[in-house]
Amino acid sequence: MRVYLRYAFKETFTNLWRNRMMTVAAVLTVAVSLSLVGSALLLKQSAAQASAQWQQGTRVTVWMQPNASQSEIDSVKTQLAGMPIVKDCQYFTQAQDYQQAKTLLPADEWSVLTPSATPSSFRCVPTVPTDAFTVQSTFTNQPGVYQVTAPEQQIRQMNHAIRILQIVFLALAAVLLLSATVLILNTIRMAIFSRRREVSVMKLVGATNWFIRVPFITEGFIAGLLGSTVAMLAVTALHTWYPLHNEFALNTSALVGTNTVVLVVGVVIGSVGSAIAIRRFLDV
Amino acid sequence: MIRFENVSKTYKNGTPALRNVTLDIEKGEFVFLVGASGSGKTTFLRLLLREEAPDAGRILEAGRDIGELPKWRVPYLRRNIGCVFQDFRLLPNKSVFENVAFALEVIGRPRSTVESQVPQILELVGLADKAKNLPHELSGGEQQRVAVARAFVNRPLILLADEPTGNLDPANSESIMALLERINRTGTTVVMATHDKALVDRMRRRVVELDRGEIVRDQVRGVYGIDEGVAI
Repeated sequence: MRVYLRYAFKETFTNLWRNRMMTVAAVLTVAVSLSLVGSALLLKQSAAQASAQWQQGTRVTVWMQPNASQSEIDSVKTQLAGMPIVKDCQYFTQAQDYQQAKTLLPADEWSVLTPSATPSSFRCVPTVPTDAFTVQSTFTNQPGVYQVTAPEQQIRQMNHAIRILQIVFLALAAVLLLSATVLILNTIRMAIFSRRREVSVMKLVGATNWFIRVPFITEGFIAGLLGSTVAMLAVTALHTWYPLHNEFALNTSALVGTNTVVLVVGVVIGSVGSAIAIRRFLDV
Repeated sequence: MIRFENVSKTYKNGTPALRNVTLDIEKGEFVFLVGASGSGKTTFLRLLLREEAPDAGRILEAGRDIGELPKWRVPYLRRNIGCVFQDFRLLPNKSVFENVAFALEVIGRPRSTVESQVPQILELVGLADKAKNLPHELSGGEQQRVAVARAFVNRPLILLADEPTGNLDPANSESIMALLERINRTGTTVVMATHDKALVDRMRRRVVELDRGEIVRDQVRGVYGIDEGVAI
């Protein structure tokens, strides 16, 4: 066993060196493809996170008539409190809303407004963003309610855009992964093809299939490892320097996760690719 | 040592390579396999290595039916069979020493064995001083002697040679034959397929002649063939 391990080790590295152009080609293929795959995955996560954060910020506001009675206000308040889909509600009195309008509206508009003409309001956060619409339809025609506003249109559009973005990134990653696999397989197959003579001699003198296979698989493993290391650096660079700001900014664990995927995929493609590529030459 | 029982083999294109061949080769025998191209000599050797399986019949080696060997045992079968080919089949980027050592490393021999056996066998084939050379730095005859050394270094029971002198001039052929005889004297069974009439005639060993897949002659102290001058 020790003899074999030494043999396999020596064989792996002399072969990597002897076929260094092939090795470099395989490593670069893995590196480029996985950099793209990793970047696509990272951007997909970034988009998903932004979407989630925007949705967190979704609010629905129930505006009361300025002349709504106290009982009407109380009724709305109890109903809101009783709804499980509403996480949190805050009541803004007419005076408070007037003050806010003062800060939000241009002077010529709020100057015609008086506190008694200003609607009071419930500012609510739904548990699930899309529940904003349910809240809206429930309260729109209730007595004393002036109108219910939810950033419906924006939410819908944003969700739609982001879902498409996610699908695009994911599809991109899948296609890139597939082409990477094919390229790697082909590179390894060429490397093995150039050594079929050696393989045939090995079989002739009675080498077992695993004996022949292992150095090739180790070779693929190392090429995959080197390639994914480069790819991990590229993904890290993207994470560090690409302007992924605000909602799009990803934390380190997302980066670590993506890099783990890149590493595992690279190593698996390298070694499994070699195993598949050599299979044909082991028959007889 | 080797026993063919009604062995037939037909290739996919329909050409029969061997037809109902029955043959016994004793341990330590030296057998020439002669016949025109396409007569089935190479198929005979490939069957012995189990690079091919017969369509019918049994092949026994050292008392075992090799058709019953599971696929993973085939490498172990081949460790008992040395092979020499017309085109040498050396690894071009390994030195003479490494080429011979390769046969031992591949079957998991420890380095100490490699380091004692290889120089010994290179001495035997007269190439001790070329151990560090690469195959392309040697003459054809020398390359073939390396191939013989590689085939014999783990002391197989059987040595198969497929036209080993086919690419060599008479002097080099002579030295290869001397080597094979010497190996045969150690008790190794040697089966050699050849076209070389002069060699066969001179050696006066057992001759098995194949013609279109059938054994047409089996002579204990034979010559290449009486009508060969006409046939070829």
